[in-house]
Amino acid sequence: MNPGNHDKTTGQEAHVHIVSYKEHASTFLGLILLTIMTVTVSVFGADLYTLTVLTALAIASAKAVVVAMYFMHLKYDPKIYKAMLGVVLVLFIVFIVLTLIDYLIRN
Amino acid sequence: MDTTFVLPNSGHHRDDMSSKMGMWLFLFTELLLFGGLFLVYMIYRFKYHDAFLHASYDLNVWFGGVNTIVLLASSMSVAMSITAMQKGNIKLSKNLIWLTIIAAGIFLVIKSFEWSAKFEHGLFPGMEHYNSMGNGERLFFFLYFFMTGLHALHVIIGAIFLYFIIRAIQKQKVRQDKYMFLENGGLYWHLVDLIWIYLFPLFYLIH
Amino acid sequence: MSTHAPSPDLTFFQVAKGIKSWIFTVDHKRIALLYFYSIVTFFIVGVILGFLMRLELIAPGKTIVEAHTYNQLFTLHGVIMIFLFIIPVVPAIFGNFFLPIMIGTDDVSFPKVNLLSWYLYILGGVLALLTLVVGDGPPDTGWTFYAPYSVKTGTNVSIAVLAAFILGFSSILTGLNFIVTIHRLRYPGMGFFQMPLFAWALYATAWIQVLATPIVGITLLMIVAERVFGVGLFDPSIGGDPILYQHLFWIYSHPAVYIMVLPAMGIISEIIPTFSQRTIFGYKAIAYSSLAIAFVGYFVWGHHMFTSGMSGPARIVFSILTFLVAIPSAVKVFNWVATMYKGSIDVKPPMLYAMAFIFQFLIGGLTGLVIGALATDVHLHDTYFVVGHFHYVMFGGTGFAFFGALHYWFPKIWGRMYNIQWANIAFTFLFIGFNVLYFPMIILGMMGMPRRYYDYLPEFQMLNVISTVGSWVLIFGMIIMIVNLINGYRKGAIASRNPWGGVTLEWQTKSPPPLQNFDKAPEVSEHGPYDFK
Repeated sequence: MNPGNHDKTTGQEAHVHIVSYKEHASTFLGLILLTIMTVTVSVFGADLYTLTVLTALAIASAKAVVVAMYFMHLKYDPKIYKAMLGVVLVLFIVFIVLTLIDYLIRN
Repeated sequence: MDTTFVLPNSGHHRDDMSSKMGMWLFLFTELLLFGGLFLVYMIYRFKYHDAFLHASYDLNVWFGGVNTIVLLASSMSVAMSITAMQKGNIKLSKNLIWLTIIAAGIFLVIKSFEWSAKFEHGLFPGMEHYNSMGNGERLFFFLYFFMTGLHALHVIIGAIFLYFIIRAIQKQKVRQDKYMFLENGGLYWHLVDLIWIYLFPLFYLIH
Repeated sequence: MSTHAPSPDLTFFQVAKGIKSWIFTVDHKRIALLYFYSIVTFFIVGVILGFLMRLELIAPGKTIVEAHTYNQLFTLHGVIMIFLFIIPVVPAIFGNFFLPIMIGTDDVSFPKVNLLSWYLYILGGVLALLTLVVGDGPPDTGWTFYAPYSVKTGTNVSIAVLAAFILGFSSILTGLNFIVTIHRLRYPGMGFFQMPLFAWALYATAWIQVLATPIVGITLLMIVAERVFGVGLFDPSIGGDPILYQHLFWIYSHPAVYIMVLPAMGIISEIIPTFSQRTIFGYKAIAYSSLAIAFVGYFVWGHHMFTSGMSGPARIVFSILTFLVAIPSAVKVFNWVATMYKGSIDVKPPMLYAMAFIFQFLIGGLTGLVIGALATDVHLHDTYFVVGHFHYVMFGGTGFAFFGALHYWFPKIWGRMYNIQWANIAFTFLFIGFNVLYFPMIILGMMGMPRRYYDYLPEFQMLNVISTVGSWVLIFGMIIMIVNLINGYRKGAIASRNPWGGVTLEWQTKSPPPLQNFDKAPEVSEHGPYDFK
């Protein structure tokens, strides 16, 4: 362990948080449910082009949040990690938006 | 001259939080690497919407779906292996990592079935059937092979990473009081899972 | 990992000898010097290429090379100067050497990864040079590798692009190392807002290195894939969009220019307080402006594409954002000047370079606004105006900051002092040569001379001649500078701990520093890093 480091941005102490097997299993079940949902929407959903894409992306993002928060332990980790990931996601979304401003309005 | 002082924070001391932060930063680079490809996919799906839809019928939703479940289960098993290590259950931890590696293997086997089916139909860039298709469809299949191929490469790298973790456990370099290496391996593995979580609907569930 | 600590009486040079102790070192100071020697070598190659280009352009028509060769010259000049010089020069050399010292620690967070960064740099550099000798020779696409030409040309695009990919990894790993180092290894009592501004600059830069570089990585891989498989990603004749390539390329390459300039600004923020013997004006504003430049800088890339065929609304949005990003840069310039006001100015060589930086960066920044505005850019895009603009910011800015840092930290690194008079003379030639070389380009651009052209109309010749002569004066100045520094290294006067009266932590330790950076516990002032009593 690192002595004498008082990184104020994290404040993490040595107490370890253990996620139970049960919690992991529940997370997995939740993810399976979301997967079933997305397949169902796609296979049986209407030809709502944009809405279908958005729904699929929304469900995928929900799964991603679950994986990140629980399996990757972000929920229980110091805030700095969530903050960093947040910045990365904002960045990526702005890339998409700015690029789309070009493509959606061309010609 | 004071020769006995020691710098309180040294770049040469073990620091688990540094290790984890470094791993997360590396994961960000992977996210953006694939992100660039997702951007390309988005533009061309927008431009060639019908061709993408038509081409996607060649993909088997069930293969894709099973692979999704396999990866999700593998994420669970590697997360559980960390729990086991934290509780001091070294044997269970190792076995759970083996399970994760096996899941990776299953994923790759299914993927190779899918790919070889496409090769048989001449659908790989450069092959005859592929060359005869329209622009949109050719782009779909190129992106399919490029993105799932790059992803599969990461599955392989992840599996090798996990294997090295098992070796480290056997040598007791990863233990109940020192398991950052395992946590980082888990983080990398979850990234592999995350990428597939997006690949699956974007390629298999266009409807 | 704990090792026996050598006596702090030994400098980091003395603790081990022989080439293996360098090639396999994990000491951040030695890695910094490994970078220094390799980067300077590539810089000299880049300068020679520039020299040849200016020779060709001294007269219209063919002067010394054919058109195709000229295209290869400017491509390789760009690739080397950008990927092998400007991007790594400040972080990899002065960042590596001084970041740990300035924050009061003994190394970066991941010393072995640091060494790996250097290995990757060398590998990328070797590959770049390989393009000179195999196949159809170096690429002739320009360093931007625009599709569809980059996909079709027979020259060694794939090798060059692979080199850039590997160099990107080197950059990413350096950035990753610095972010963790800054978060985790600061001396107790040194919060983020007690760090020197050079550290802030490196922090903001590191985030760009980590987040922007992967995008160019994947784009370059797509170029290779396109060349191998002919898919139609960027080739319009088979349904691809060449503008998409430009989007992807510039999403990295614009933030990359902030990788180039932010650390240089950090250097200026160090030199000016020391040679004004005053604390920096507006410390927090400068710190935040570094973050602001990094952040907003991600969103302006479209200003390289105003004439490419992008949609109208996209152009307007990118132009507005471009104007926004100029604001934090201006904040810095005002704060530097305010720091000098009523300070006790000591015009030593580092300060000369810092003041030249402010002057040249100002010209570069203002010309940048001219091309950031849509209406004027239409006339100036792809002319020599742009070439003048970016050389003013990258060379007149970062390049001069690099020279300034070299003269500032020289005594600390090597424990000797160079000859001040000769340094001043070198600076004079450099400053005059630089401005004579590049200012005419601004005018030539307004007159309409296109860039990347091997030939030009006769009415452009006079300014081209002036520019070429400027390049000779510049190179002459560089030679004087290099010779003077080598002499200083070999037989300069022994330097004290603090020849300039600086107050950041590196001036508390020996010159050169011991392996563990400090021979006694560093004293962190509670009044901030620029505590001039």
